[in-house]
Amino acid sequence: MLEVLIYGIIIGSIWALVSSGFSLVFGVARILNFAHGIFFVLGAYFAILLYPYLGFFSIIPAVLLVGAFGWIVYRFLISPIKQYEVMVILITLALALLVKEILLAIFKDISQSYPSLVSGLVTVAGVPVPTNRLMILGIAIVVIICLDLFIRRTKVGKFIMATSQDMEASMLVGIDVEWVYSVTMMISAILASLAGILYAQIYAVNPATAFRVLIYAFAIVILGGLGSVRGSIIASFIIGFIQVAISMFYEPRWAEIAALATIIFILIVRPKGLFGVE
Amino acid sequence: MKWLALISLIILAILPFFAPQSVVYLLGLTFIFVVYVVSWDLIAGYAGQINLGHTVFIGIGAYTTALLQNPERLGIAIPHLPIFVTIILGGLMAVAFGFAIGAICLRLKGYYLALVTAILPLICIQLLNVYSDVFGGYEGFSIGFENSLASSLMAEYYISLIFMLICIVAIVYVVRSPLGIKLKAIREDEELAEAVGVDVVKYKLIAFCLSAFFAGLAGAVMVHYRITVGPDLFDIPLMLMIILAAVIGGLGTIYGPIVGAFLIYLAKNYVFVWIVQKLSLNVSDEIFLYILLIIIILKSPEGIFEKVRRMFS
Repeated sequence: MLEVLIYGIIIGSIWALVSSGFSLVFGVARILNFAHGIFFVLGAYFAILLYPYLGFFSIIPAVLLVGAFGWIVYRFLISPIKQYEVMVILITLALALLVKEILLAIFKDISQSYPSLVSGLVTVAGVPVPTNRLMILGIAIVVIICLDLFIRRTKVGKFIMATSQDMEASMLVGIDVEWVYSVTMMISAILASLAGILYAQIYAVNPATAFRVLIYAFAIVILGGLGSVRGSIIASFIIGFIQVAISMFYEPRWAEIAALATIIFILIVRPKGLFGVE
Repeated sequence: MKWLALISLIILAILPFFAPQSVVYLLGLTFIFVVYVVSWDLIAGYAGQINLGHTVFIGIGAYTTALLQNPERLGIAIPHLPIFVTIILGGLMAVAFGFAIGAICLRLKGYYLALVTAILPLICIQLLNVYSDVFGGYEGFSIGFENSLASSLMAEYYISLIFMLICIVAIVYVVRSPLGIKLKAIREDEELAEAVGVDVVKYKLIAFCLSAFFAGLAGAVMVHYRITVGPDLFDIPLMLMIILAAVIGGLGTIYGPIVGAFLIYLAKNYVFVWIVQKLSLNVSDEIFLYILLIIIILKSPEGIFEKVRRMFS
């Protein structure tokens, strides 16, 4: 039971990075980004590609590259058609499939991992845990705290908050809303790519991972309430526990089916999610 | 417009007498694809509900009829039913599933339907693999030559053509009925429709079930046409093809998506494959579908049909 708790928190912290970015973009710009899983996978692949040249420093350019990609996706694909909500969903879905096919052509359908940052085992409350996983947990928590501080303390963060609360009023007081949306998209891409790199250290990524990640991301944002970043973070850990429990006591391939079951259950019982806002 | 439809229908009716077999076979598949697209247009274009899991209904219809024709896979004894019956049962199974999903998601406003339906195909494919001894896993299975739609290709072609025409007529009838008008009202403004006394959830659900029914039927007919069933009927590339065809033709116009469906299905099977071979690219020809969809959405997010209409008026 304790094992489930510890391993659940670790995988939950990765999901928290994924879903907080997804939620942020939805909450601020009302964009449902079906290409979010692509950021995750691209981050991992860039880091793996650059690793032979840069070692562990490859994480930094990988994350920045995906951040830039997020900016480009918003500017050139989403921004021109933003008022057609259906088309935003369709174009991001098409982009996700396109990038997945390109990745398949380059890397083939082979799972790849990123080398562990540190090696060794630590015993936490009687449960042996690889040091690397604790490191991942630490990184994820620090990044999430930084995100929270960034949004609440910095000027850019306040612009983001203001835009999410009232887009027109923000425009009136002179905030460049389009710029805010681009920045939000970039932050979201950075978070997802970092999550992808951390994930690739524990498990492995292949091009199809982009869509598996979407299943978890959707389950988390619906559980946490669409548009609520804090709700998503808490829901990430719940989904993490469920995933680990099913993988340990049953079969890993049922974990995604359980995620869907969670969505259905929440939609029946409490459609707004745990912390949903109208 | 009417004359154009009539002329193309006559051409399609006499085509098998002089076209090569491969073209006839492909056109038969195209007719069924048209039903996929038109039934999706009913829920997405008319009722404005973004269903990204339309292929789930197609797949459920397909596997229902395939398993009923091969009951030994299920491990239960079922008397042998005629194809015609199991195809209808496939459609009804899709309705049952559509009703369950719709009842949960359609009472909520906003994006829930898109989120849930987007992951349904992935989960379904996962389940097909988990129970691969029943469903045949990644490969699917053959339902046996004795279960094909008809004994000759030409007969299959005409059955497929008639099936398409019946479905189109039925859907056009629905769209022009009072139900269709209510659906349009819901699409334009859900709250306003509710305010003037339309039971929004009920009509959305009816439209969803109708759409599922035609998709399930089409999936089942597809299985008997090509004699194999497989997870490709569930998969996202097929969904994107349906979306692309509807978007090219213009959402919510029925006739537009029919034209779009012919264009896309034939383009995918002739033009895209040809490009990939000519350039000897190491990629799936589906890449062109995705690029095309992105370009089309960027160029005319309101739909090409709308653009053309505006140009003429």
